[in-house]
Amino acid sequence: MKTALKGILAATTLSLMASGAALAEDPIKIGVVTPLSGTYAPIGQQVRWGLELATKEVNAAGGIMGRQIELSFEDGEANPSVAVQKAEKQFTVNNVDFLTGTVNSGATLAVGQLAERSGKLIATTVSFADSITGASCSPNVFRVNARAGQQSAALAAWVDKEAPDPKVFFLGPDYEMGRSTVAAFKSTITGLGGTEAGEVFAPLDNKDYTPYFGQIRAAQPQVLYTSVAGNDTVRLLTQMENFGLLENLLVVGASGTVTSQNIDAIGSAAEGFATGVGYSVQIDTPENKKFVEAFRAAYDKDPDLYGADSYGVIYFYKAAVEKAQSTDTDAVRKAMEDLKWMTPQGEKTMRAGDHQAIQPMYVVRVTDGKFTIYSDVSGDEAIGKDACEKF
Amino acid sequence: MNAVDYLQFVLAPQIVNGLAIGVAVVLVALGLTIIFGLLDVINMAHGEFYAVGAYLALALGAVGIDFWLLLVLVPLLMLPLGYVVERGLIQRVFNTPDRHVSTLLLTFGLALVLEDVLKVIFGPNTQRPPTPIKGAIDMFGIFLPTYRLFLIVFGLAVIAAVALIVYRTRLGAMVRAAAFDRDMAGSMGVPVTHVYAGAFAFGIALAGLAGVLLAPIYSVFPTMGRDFILMAFTVVIVGGMGSIAGVVVAGLVLTQIQAIASLYISPVWTDPIVFGIMVAVLMVRPQGLFGRIGHA
Repeated sequence: MKTALKGILAATTLSLMASGAALAEDPIKIGVVTPLSGTYAPIGQQVRWGLELATKEVNAAGGIMGRQIELSFEDGEANPSVAVQKAEKQFTVNNVDFLTGTVNSGATLAVGQLAERSGKLIATTVSFADSITGASCSPNVFRVNARAGQQSAALAAWVDKEAPDPKVFFLGPDYEMGRSTVAAFKSTITGLGGTEAGEVFAPLDNKDYTPYFGQIRAAQPQVLYTSVAGNDTVRLLTQMENFGLLENLLVVGASGTVTSQNIDAIGSAAEGFATGVGYSVQIDTPENKKFVEAFRAAYDKDPDLYGADSYGVIYFYKAAVEKAQSTDTDAVRKAMEDLKWMTPQGEKTMRAGDHQAIQPMYVVRVTDGKFTIYSDVSGDEAIGKDACEKF
Repeated sequence: MNAVDYLQFVLAPQIVNGLAIGVAVVLVALGLTIIFGLLDVINMAHGEFYAVGAYLALALGAVGIDFWLLLVLVPLLMLPLGYVVERGLIQRVFNTPDRHVSTLLLTFGLALVLEDVLKVIFGPNTQRPPTPIKGAIDMFGIFLPTYRLFLIVFGLAVIAAVALIVYRTRLGAMVRAAAFDRDMAGSMGVPVTHVYAGAFAFGIALAGLAGVLLAPIYSVFPTMGRDFILMAFTVVIVGGMGSIAGVVVAGLVLTQIQAIASLYISPVWTDPIVFGIMVAVLMVRPQGLFGRIGHA
């Protein structure tokens, strides 16, 4: 009996030691909490495609420091409390080394707080709200996509050229992203000479925008700025078209308002819509051409800014881990600050002061149902001030 | 701006738009109140059947079937679906003592399943069928797309037809009798199980019809069932479960309150106001404004 026990003990210790040696070949686990259902499911789909494509490429080239990347997906439902639950699961049960994929700005902020408590790093590739790398910045949260401030800087400069000193009407969804994007554009455009003709915040998932049309008509704006997204954009623009409100109106909006996922449903009502973005399929760099080709071959669809930035975050993490030579949170964080890495948009720099990526911005406009680049703004011009005071 | 101008250019358009929204809500709530009132079944899946109707319209329209044909075809296709759901699923849990809980859970589960089935078949992206009637009219300074005007007129016609069927035909009398006293009606020769299943199917078909009509305005996506369900339940509760007049009055009045209130207060507050009215009605007059079908 005693020898049997000793034997079992020895066998267990040996297998534990063996698994200790095998740790070097363990995969690097990247957790993804992204909306796979609900209003923002189309965005979650692009995030998924971007991440999977990059992971496939990196793994085929040998992985990160010899270790393969393993992605694990959870549905965040664009709901901060659900996202936090799923992120908790990823950190504690799935033991991920790094987390990404949050779309809803509220979800990113909430999961960021969880990441701080759990001692892990997260990066968002979608959330626009300035506060994520501004007033509510966190040492464990990084943003590889352009924030609202960068988008509105590029867009406002262009709008002012098209319609000098315009009267602008603002319509946004009533939550963090909607209010911050409207506020960002308002301050930029009024700084250039525009005036506010009116402002309305509709509930998220609002189905009928006709109650606001009287107000819009009375204000007689030259420009309408809107930051609705997904289905809400389809309804807003098509209803405005039905009511004849789109004639003689320049409609501009946040990056995520009209994307390849909803542009077909919007149809002719999207014509002329302009936005400031950090990505366009037409960007003329060799990296982007390669990326777009690979994306189309894999998924039979064009990438949008969410797909492109999610693709970029895998390379961001790879560059940081290789620079730090470890997946330890503090080492990787240090490596990420001031990191320069290659993306389809060219080289991006991660600003150390607030964990915000600096990149060139573009103004794109919907022409004949497709986005066309109209002008661009350099990274340093668009980045804006470092408003983060916490580190 | 003087009073007449205000009336004509601010208030009147708001009221007319509210009317269009109101007719939409009533169409969705009509089927719900019949199911609620007659079968005593809380149909949480009602919004999903609205979505199924819209997706059917999308799919059949893509094959080239004309919109006017779809208005008849989609409800007809949904009748057997509703019949099967009632006989196959709801009847099974109907005769248990805690019927309300079990049918609520059953239909809630059905709603979740239907939503994901639609997503799997049609994809998560938003789609939109073309607007069947283009153009707009401008009368007395009120600008209204022609399709919305059609919606108001057609919707009111459908409501009138349903009221006619329920209150003036023998079929309707059988339905009301079975609601009032199931056993007595059965012993008088009313085929009660068929009447129940048929009434459920009819309610589902109405939801599907609403889906066809509203798809060009509100677009089609897997979670669209959630758009109207809360408002529909509110209208049914305030109007009285099972009462058609109640649904019409409550539906039109509540949406008007929302439309006019959004002129003066932030739009997000119009929903709490409507739900507050529902709570008040439940406290003061729980049977709603007009009581129950068969009992009114």
